[in-house]
Amino acid sequence: MPMKRSRALRPKPADALVVLAVVLAAAALGVYFWGGSSSGSLQAVISQNGQVTETVNLSRLTEKEERVITSNGYTLHLVLTSTEVWMESSTCPNQDCVHTGKISRPGQSIVCLPARVSVMLTDGNASGVDAVLG
Amino acid sequence: MKLTTKQLTLCAVLTALALALSYLENFFPLALLIPLPGVKLGLANIVTVFALYTLGTGQALLILLARCCLGAVFAGNVSALLFSLMGGLAAMAAMSLLSRSRHLSVYGVSVGGAAAHNCGQVAAAIVTLGNTAPVYYLPILLGVSLFTGALTGLVAGLLFRGLEHTTLLKA
Repeated sequence: MPMKRSRALRPKPADALVVLAVVLAAAALGVYFWGGSSSGSLQAVISQNGQVTETVNLSRLTEKEERVITSNGYTLHLVLTSTEVWMESSTCPNQDCVHTGKISRPGQSIVCLPARVSVMLTDGNASGVDAVLG
Repeated sequence: MKLTTKQLTLCAVLTALALALSYLENFFPLALLIPLPGVKLGLANIVTVFALYTLGTGQALLILLARCCLGAVFAGNVSALLFSLMGGLAAMAAMSLLSRSRHLSVYGVSVGGAAAHNCGQVAAAIVTLGNTAPVYYLPILLGVSLFTGALTGLVAGLLFRGLEHTTLLKA
């Protein structure tokens, strides 16, 4: 015997609570990803198949750098500058990684699911060395 | 679980319907408007909502599992199975709980289900990639789920109204 379910077909006031919960969750994540300051040193962590393949300290880049990543049968073209990272092109079918656009703050990522590639920006200062002296 | 012939038939028809809706969805490329992984209408969720309300959690779960497995076989894509299963099961769990509240309508239930579906898919992406990078896409996916959830709620509501005077909804 299935549980008795209310079969209310018109929106009820309490529905707003569900909507509010979703909006709050989205807003909290949004503040986390876009609200923080973009100053400080950034590093880009490039992973393939769950393994970190390269960590690039962006603040040390003096000019635009490019990486050609071959993974899972696809070829991705990643561009890194001292402040931004973006996927210039990809041979993957859905192009989600290219459409993600430029990322520039700690916590932000570019994901290419078909190629199993992710590029995640982290706060370079938080992970150890601030500066190397002498 | 013991199924009557009528229930079994209804489950089979709904599974076929869910598969057809998943296929139909490819012709409404919402991803062209919002080009992010996992953005889609979630039309097959209409079937889950309908099955949950009329047949209960057990049979709705059977339909979901059959739809995910057959969908992966037809698409010839086993890695997609993880995504559809984790999304579908999360949506099912959320809607099964929310539909027990007398204060929520089918809209609230299906918005909650759509949001949970996206959370499940992001979790599948985390499992696939081995890091938390996919969470970056979650705020936008949650925002989109408000609209897709309301849409599936609307369609499920129309469906219930249309079937009110038939014997289909009587146990």
